[in-house]
Amino acid sequence: MRRGAVAILFVLLGAAAPLAAHPMSDIEALIDAAEPGGVVLIPPGVYEGNLVIDKPVVLDGQEGAIFDGMESGTVVEVLAEGVTIRGCTIRGSGENVTAEPAGIRVLAGHAVIESNTIKDSLFGIDLRQASDSVIRGNRIACKNFEPARRGDGLRLWWSHNCTVEDNTVLSSRDMVFWYSENLHITRNTVKDSRYGLHFMYSHDTVLEGNELTGNSVGIYLMYSNRITLINNRMLSHRGASGYGIGLKDCDDIVVRGNALLANRVGMYIDNSPSSIGATGTVEQNMIAFNEVGLLATPNTHENVFTRNAFMENEEPAESNGRGRLTRNSFSRDGFGNYWSDYTGFDLDGDGIGDVAYEPRSLFHEMLAVEPNLRLFVHSPAQQAIEFTARALPELQPKSVLVDPAPLARPPEIKLASPPADGAAPVMASLAAGLLLASGGLTVVFGRSPGIPVAPGGRE
Amino acid sequence: MSTMAAPAGNNAASSPLRAATTVGGIAMFARREFRDAIASRWFLLYTLAFTVLAVGVSFLSLSGVGSSGFAGFGRTAAGLLNLIMLIVPLMALTAGAGSIAGERERGTLLYLLAQPVSRTQVLLGKYAGLALALVCSLCIGFGVSAGLLAWRAGGVGVGAYILLIGFTAMLALGMLSVGFVISVVSRRTSVSTGVALFVWLALVFVSDLGLMASSIIFKLRVQEIFGVAILNPLQSFKMGVIVNMNASLDVLGPVGDYASHTFGAVLPWLLASTMVAWIVIPLAAAMVLFVRRQSV
Repeated sequence: MRRGAVAILFVLLGAAAPLAAHPMSDIEALIDAAEPGGVVLIPPGVYEGNLVIDKPVVLDGQEGAIFDGMESGTVVEVLAEGVTIRGCTIRGSGENVTAEPAGIRVLAGHAVIESNTIKDSLFGIDLRQASDSVIRGNRIACKNFEPARRGDGLRLWWSHNCTVEDNTVLSSRDMVFWYSENLHITRNTVKDSRYGLHFMYSHDTVLEGNELTGNSVGIYLMYSNRITLINNRMLSHRGASGYGIGLKDCDDIVVRGNALLANRVGMYIDNSPSSIGATGTVEQNMIAFNEVGLLATPNTHENVFTRNAFMENEEPAESNGRGRLTRNSFSRDGFGNYWSDYTGFDLDGDGIGDVAYEPRSLFHEMLAVEPNLRLFVHSPAQQAIEFTARALPELQPKSVLVDPAPLARPPEIKLASPPADGAAPVMASLAAGLLLASGGLTVVFGRSPGIPVAPGGRE
Repeated sequence: MSTMAAPAGNNAASSPLRAATTVGGIAMFARREFRDAIASRWFLLYTLAFTVLAVGVSFLSLSGVGSSGFAGFGRTAAGLLNLIMLIVPLMALTAGAGSIAGERERGTLLYLLAQPVSRTQVLLGKYAGLALALVCSLCIGFGVSAGLLAWRAGGVGVGAYILLIGFTAMLALGMLSVGFVISVVSRRTSVSTGVALFVWLALVFVSDLGLMASSIIFKLRVQEIFGVAILNPLQSFKMGVIVNMNASLDVLGPVGDYASHTFGAVLPWLLASTMVAWIVIPLAAAMVLFVRRQSV
C-alpha cells in the first residue's frame, strides 16, 4: 500500500517536473567509481553530452534515463570489451554524414545492447569489429530526414557470431551487415526504411521470423553465401526496386517458409548462385498478391523451386530482360509448385497436375522488349493481346519456365500471424450503405409518376 | 426535390421562382428518366451482369488463400479494374446513346418539347435521371462485393474502395456524356447504338493498342506516352485507381514512375480532373448541339 503510494508520488513528480538536465560527467564519475564488470545504475534524468565507455561495466538505465548528444557527434561510444547498455533512451546525435555519428557505437566485442530506445540519431546502433555481441529488443528510429540522407538503423561491420533479435527499426536506411559471419537474426521488425535486412559479403547466417513492411526492399542479400531465410514475412515493398527478397550473386541460399505478400516483386534473383557447383533452394514459400511473383535475370540458373505457392500474382514469374528461366528446376523429387493460374488437370488425383505448367504471355514477352508498355497492364487491351496469342499459335511466345509437376492444390504453408484487421465492420457498413442508397433511390424516385410513362415504355 | 417537382411541372409558368422552375423541370425529367431506366430490361441486365461479375472477381481473387487478411483489396481491385473498364463504359455509352435518339424515334421527343420547359432542361433532366440510375446500379454491384470483402478479407482498404467507387462513377458519367453527344446527333437508335459500340471499341481496345504500336514504332518517350494515354478516360480511370491504391504508379513501369516523379501529389487530382473534363465537355457539346437544332 505504502509502496504503491510512493510509486504514484514518483510518477506524479516525474510528470510534473521536466527531467533535470545533468552533464555527462556525472555518468563518467559513476563509471569511474564502478568495479570492472560492475553494474552502474543510471538514475532518471537527461544527461547531456557524449559518453565514452572504456571499461567493462553494465549500464542499467532506470525509467527516464536519457542520454542526449545535443546534436553533436556519437552519443555513446564503447571502447572496452564486455560492456552492457540496457534500458536507456539515447537521442540527439550529430548529423554530419561523413563522421557517421550514431546513437551507440561499439568498437569492441562481447557487448550487450538491450532494450534501449534510440531516436533522433543519424545512425542507430553501429558495431565495428565487435564480435560475439548481442543486440536485443531495441527500438530505433533515425533522424527524420528524406530517405537519401538517413543513416542505418543498425549496422554490423566485421562483427562475427552476433545475435540480433527482437529489435524494431522505423524510418531509417538499412539494417545492414557488412563482412559479418555466423549471425543469428531473429524476430526483428523493419518498417518504412530502405532495405529491411541488407547483407554485404556476410556469410553463414540464419534469418528467422523477421517482419519487414513497407521498405524499398525487404531482404537484400549481396555477395553473401550460405544464408538461410526461414519464416520471414515481407509485405508491401513497392517502388522501383520493391522486392520482397533480392539476391545478388549469392551462393547456396535457402529460402524456406517465408511469406512474400503484396510486393512489387516477390522475389528477385540476379545471377544467384554465381559460382560453379553452388545452388539455391526456394521451398514452401507463400508468394502471393505481388505484381510479379518471381523476377530473375535470364542468366540465373541452378535454383530449385519446390512446393511454393504462387498465388494470385499479377505475373507469376518473369525474366528480367529477354530470355527464359528454364535453367532452373521448378520441381524436386516429383513435387513442383502450386500456380494459381494453372489450367491443367489432375486425372489420377495424386495431387500433381498431369500437364506441365508453362506460362506463356505475349504481353509480357513484349514488355521484356519494350518496358514502357507496362503502362497497359490491368487493361482490356492486355487481355486482347493475350487472346490473340492464344488464337494464333504462331504468335505464341516460348514459356518463361517449365514446371513438370505442378501441384494441384496449394500446399499447407503456415504463415506467421496475419495482420490484425479491425476494418471489417467499416467495410460491412459500407456495403450496407451502398445497397441501402441504391434501394432508397429506387423507392423514392422510381415510384409515383410525374409525367405519364411514354407509350410502350423504353427497352 | 420530389415535393417541389410536382407543382412546378404541372403549372410551370405560374411559379414565382424561375430558378426553382428550372430545377423543378430538370428534376421532373430526371425522375421520369430514372423510372424508365430501372424499368428497362437492358438496364436490369447490365446491373445483374456487373454485380455477378464483380462478386465473382472478388470471390475468385480471395479464394484459395488460407490467411485471407493479406489479400486485402489490392488484388481484388486489379481484377475489378478490367471488368469495370469493359462493362461500365458499355453500359453508360449505350444508355446515353439511346436517350434522345430513342425519344426521337418513338416520336415522344415532340411531346416532351411541347411541355413548357426548355430544351436544356429536357436534356439535363434526362442526363440526371440516367446518371442516377447508373450510379444506383454501380452501388448494387460494389455493395455486394464490399459485403463479400468484409466477410472474407476483413475490410482492408476501405478508403481505396470508396475512391474506386468514386472514379467508377466519374467514368460512368463521362461515358454517359459521350453517349448523349451521339444521341443528340442521331435520328435512329440503331445508328446511335452502333456508333456508341464503335466508340466503346475505340476507347477500350483500339486506342490502347494503337498507342502500344506507336510507342514501339515511333519510339515514343515516356512523357509522350503518358500525355497521350491520359486523354483516354479509361487510362485516366485506371491510373487514378492505382495511384489511390498504391500512392504511386510504380506498377505501371517507366511511364508510371515518370508520372509519379513528375506530378507527385498532384497526380490524383490531374487524373480526376481529366475525368471531370470528360463529363463536362461532351455534356456541354451535347447541350449546344441539342439547343441549336431547330427541328425535333
